[in-house]
Amino acid sequence: MNIYSYIIRRLLYVIPVLLGVCLIIFILFNVLSPDPTLIMLGKHASKTQMMELRAELKLDRPWFIQYIDIVRSTFTFDFGRSWSTKQEISEMIKNGAIPSLTVTLPAFLVSFVLSISISLFVSFYRGKIIDRSIVFVCVALMSISSLAYILYGQMFFAFQLGWFEISGYESGFPDFIPYVLLPILIWVVLSVGPDVRFYRTIILDEVYQDYVRTARAKGLAESTIMFKHVLKNAMVSIITYVVIRIPFLILGSLLIESFFSIPGLGGIILNAINSSDFPVLKAMTVLSALAYIIFSVITDVLYTIVDPRVRLK
Amino acid sequence: MTEKILEVKDLVVEFKTDRGKITAVNGVNFEVFKGKTLGIVGESGSGKSVTALSIMRLIPSPPGNVAGGTISYRGKNVLDIPLDQMRTIRGNEIAMIFQEPMTSLNPVFTVGNQIEEVLELHQPELDRDQRKEKAIEMLRLVGIPSPENRVGEYPHQLSGGMRQRVMIAMSLACEPDILIADEPTTALDVTIQAQILELMNKLQREMGMGIVMITHDLGVVAETCDDVAVMYCGQIVEQSDVKTLFNNPKHPYTKGLIDSIPSFDSTTGGAKGRLPTIEGMVPSLFDLPEGCNFQNRCKSVTEKCRGPHGEPKLTEINPGEFVRCFHPLS
Ligand SMILES: Nc1ncnc2c1ncn2[C@@H]1O[C@H](COP(=O)(O)OP(=O)(O)O)[C@@H](O)[C@H]1O
Ligand SMILES: [Mg+2]
Repeated sequence: MNIYSYIIRRLLYVIPVLLGVCLIIFILFNVLSPDPTLIMLGKHASKTQMMELRAELKLDRPWFIQYIDIVRSTFTFDFGRSWSTKQEISEMIKNGAIPSLTVTLPAFLVSFVLSISISLFVSFYRGKIIDRSIVFVCVALMSISSLAYILYGQMFFAFQLGWFEISGYESGFPDFIPYVLLPILIWVVLSVGPDVRFYRTIILDEVYQDYVRTARAKGLAESTIMFKHVLKNAMVSIITYVVIRIPFLILGSLLIESFFSIPGLGGIILNAINSSDFPVLKAMTVLSALAYIIFSVITDVLYTIVDPRVRLK
Repeated sequence: MTEKILEVKDLVVEFKTDRGKITAVNGVNFEVFKGKTLGIVGESGSGKSVTALSIMRLIPSPPGNVAGGTISYRGKNVLDIPLDQMRTIRGNEIAMIFQEPMTSLNPVFTVGNQIEEVLELHQPELDRDQRKEKAIEMLRLVGIPSPENRVGEYPHQLSGGMRQRVMIAMSLACEPDILIADEPTTALDVTIQAQILELMNKLQREMGMGIVMITHDLGVVAETCDDVAVMYCGQIVEQSDVKTLFNNPKHPYTKGLIDSIPSFDSTTGGAKGRLPTIEGMVPSLFDLPEGCNFQNRCKSVTEKCRGPHGEPKLTEINPGEFVRCFHPLS
């Protein structure tokens, strides 16, 4: 079976999965949730007011039709308008995704490369002082609350030293750069600790394998052994860990975005939760499910590239 | 007299463990000659692999370290040379194959790729096409059918015997002076074992390298070796040429090993009765007995072996014939 038909088949599987996601969204938001008109109009609203709003929000239609509505918006990516801001939701997503990605994408890439390199380095010096110290620093970094990094970073690096903007955002390249540097830095510091510990464990699993001894017996240098032989074997576990986290990058980091006033998807989600903005929440749920599914397909395809033992089926 | 290419002298290797320090190899001496095969035979745990890995300087450190002795390869002590110089010897002048054909190849690279890698390292004058050609030629040499196709396959697509052939191809690609084979056939079926040993004999005749054949199986020794060293608890207890060893073993341990080789009885069409085995257990390296290490399992043990005279020394009782025993058999 060749890789293209494999990808196409995996993508076709996305359809039933999405239908299932729609069903869950439907049950959560349309069946189980309290009547949104009650939340929107308050306790004292009259019966007719409520009926009118229900009709306006298309909540008075049969459940089957409501489900079909969700399916249609999922496949057309047309989620209607926000209940609170009245904006087109697809427009909101488009406008929010870019600020989110300007933070998360560079942050992700930098912390990935940095963590892998550090892990290979400490695995090479496994058990020695340098390895122990770096692992200690990782644990220390992890033990500090992310709020501490954000507040200290804003206070010291942005306010006192003036190296970065404290908060806010300007769209367009390169205007956004001063605003995203500190959030990226904090993201990297936050991820390096757990990432290095995780990658180090995976890499140490490989370092004691027989093929590493063979590579040494061939006369290869340790750096070649680590970066070529060990890394490629460790890649299978690393890919699983990394790719599954990419969907969260798209949604941004709720905490960092709200502290730095970055108008990203994280902020949109927070606002939607606060104002019970169901259409926006539904759209975000669909979006994250979709991202999750697509990236798990990508993961599977990458497996087959990295590990010849994985068969396409 | 053939050329001596490797000489191991008084090799001592120690390991630090949670329970204390052990001496896994304790004063081992042997020589390897061009075109000849030296067998190192002994039960599991007797220090064979540690001896082999010391020659390659591949003892994991910590916990291990070479505490004494010299290993002279063509006159220079490989224990003293800088590591980057050692790397030019590994895989190039001294090559090694291992017991575990299933896991010794890297699963994510093709076998061709792994053979080409060693060529790229030690024969930089070859270009990419020449390396590929040489890899195919090596696969053909070790008897892998349709090597042009196999060269692009991954280890998991090959059987254990085929993988060991690939390991042999890889180790011989740079035409080393010495091949160290650490139980190369132990993990393989009996018929495949015989084929691999035959292959190694044939390649030795063609390429003329010296082989260190490590095994726990005297049958393998009989088939491949010119000289033999029998190891017990990190020491050599008997050493001689293969004929003398089999016809006239001097150490009770060697005799026990030879008696426990299964032989085929043509009159009954099956194995002869129950095989005698050496009773008792190998003593732990953590508390070796006073006197001879073999005393608790020896049929001809006397008071002399139990301590007051210390350890028996390895003595040359006939020219070229060494034994470590107070009461050598005659
Ligand atoms: N990495 C290690 N750590 C601790 N002890 C070891 C290590 N490798 C070998 N040893 C010890 O050295 C002794 C000899 O091992 P080895 O040479 O592998 O035996 P064999 O003759 O079966 O190849 C064993 O008793 C073992 O306890
Ligand atoms: Mg061994």
